[in-house]
Amino acid sequence: MSAASLRAAFTPNRVVSRSTVAVLVGAQAALLALLWVKSPLEAVPGPLAVVGALRELWFEQGLGPALAVSLSTSLEALVLATVLSLGLAYASVVPAFRPLAGVVSRGRFLGLSGLTFVFMLSLGGGQPLRLALLVFGLTVFLTTSLVAEVAAIPRARFDHARTLRMREWRVVWEVVVLGTADRALEVVRQNAAIGWTLLTTVEGLTRAEGGVGTLLLDQNKHLHLAEVFALQAVILAVGLGQDAALGWLRRAVCPWVGDSKGRGSS
Amino acid sequence: MNVEYRDVLVSAKDVSLSLGGVPVLREVNLEVRDLVRPGRVTGQVVGLLGPSGIGKTQLFRLLAGLSTPDRGQVTLTKAARPVRAGDVGVVAQDFPLFEHRTVLGNLVVAGRQAGLSTAEAKARALALLARLSLGHRANAWPKALSGGQRQRVAIAQQVLCSEHVLLMDEPFSGLDPNAVDEVCALITELASQDELNTIIVVTHDLAAAAAVCDHLWLLGTVDGQPGATVVATWDLVERGVAFAPDVRSTPQYRDLVAEVRARFMRG
Repeated sequence: MSAASLRAAFTPNRVVSRSTVAVLVGAQAALLALLWVKSPLEAVPGPLAVVGALRELWFEQGLGPALAVSLSTSLEALVLATVLSLGLAYASVVPAFRPLAGVVSRGRFLGLSGLTFVFMLSLGGGQPLRLALLVFGLTVFLTTSLVAEVAAIPRARFDHARTLRMREWRVVWEVVVLGTADRALEVVRQNAAIGWTLLTTVEGLTRAEGGVGTLLLDQNKHLHLAEVFALQAVILAVGLGQDAALGWLRRAVCPWVGDSKGRGSS
Repeated sequence: MNVEYRDVLVSAKDVSLSLGGVPVLREVNLEVRDLVRPGRVTGQVVGLLGPSGIGKTQLFRLLAGLSTPDRGQVTLTKAARPVRAGDVGVVAQDFPLFEHRTVLGNLVVAGRQAGLSTAEAKARALALLARLSLGHRANAWPKALSGGQRQRVAIAQQVLCSEHVLLMDEPFSGLDPNAVDEVCALITELASQDELNTIIVVTHDLAAAAAVCDHLWLLGTVDGQPGATVVATWDLVERGVAFAPDVRSTPQYRDLVAEVRARFMRG
């Protein structure tokens, strides 16, 4: 990296080349790794201990099946919450349904632990309870963001559709549903991460079905720090993979977002 | 010049509008008549001028049927009823298009809205794109278009859906002189495709409006009364400016622009 590139990297509002970004990321990752290896803190297990813990978790403690349980629960909840939230957000263009979306959105201030009892009496516990709690937790945040996206559509876009003789429901389809599809998927991608933070809480409430969250809480309870670090690393990796997959899905479903050459089909 | 004025095509009678209790428009009266030149197909191009904030956009919305006046009405003679959204084509200042549809998709959906079959809409859309030198961009997404291309696609979309009347909001805004001339040529071309074609250009670009229009209306206020109304009109045919070749170099054009500017500055 040249001196000019280095100077640019530390100057506000400058654009740097891809190679400079690669060098910066590599250097910071190396620094982080060095800090980790040389850390004097006993609470931070070393890389070898974490790798060893990961091996043991995978081969001895059923990390693979636990991961499968968590992944399927997380994805199922994400799909259900997305469908519910999109329905609520699209319905918010009808004045009669707007308060409903508002009430659901305010639900994000409610703690999951406080709702467990109500959900348990209704659903009886187990996997349905986990799923319901996760769907609730995701829906309240997704609805908030999606309703905001719909509310932010400029009046000019509705007017544009009306000048093309579209009736109001067609205007909703064209401007609200299709017109915000790319941003709606971006909102889902960003909020999907919340699912993994909620998952550990939810899996801690009903442990019999297993899952990464259950495993993490067990290791935490016994102060197995290397295992805790290993599980956090696994959750991070899975979350990043999910994020990349949702980003790919968005570009596949909404090709007008990502084609820099601006070509497509009618 | 030998011209004849026939039927009223668009009219606004005693149109008034208040927003939040504040009068914005007061008793606006306008009329666009079918201007006929023997041996030529001649549409109408009218310029609606006025300083920023005077109420041009509100009048634009009323003429487009996107808002309803508090009093009075805007009528298209052919429809014989107050104008409704969709009766006239509207090209807004930011040239809106459906970003999730390709250029061709945008035009086909407009053609379908006008009652054409998909095949007819596609054929007309492709023909229109070719005429606007945009045939090669048929499969592009709107975000990949330049400002000028986007404007032409937005115009094409409205032309496909509307019948004869097209409203254009600030079509010269932010354009360099060459681009202004190109837009003027496009407006003239669109107007001259049908005797009943009527293009109403809302702008504060006096020079461009004088170069392309056959009539100009100026919005302003009278004696400090609240609410804008039409304070002056110019018949550019009578002044020998409309339809003149290389009009910008004529003394009549320069005199007219100076006169309109002086009146514009008085408010």
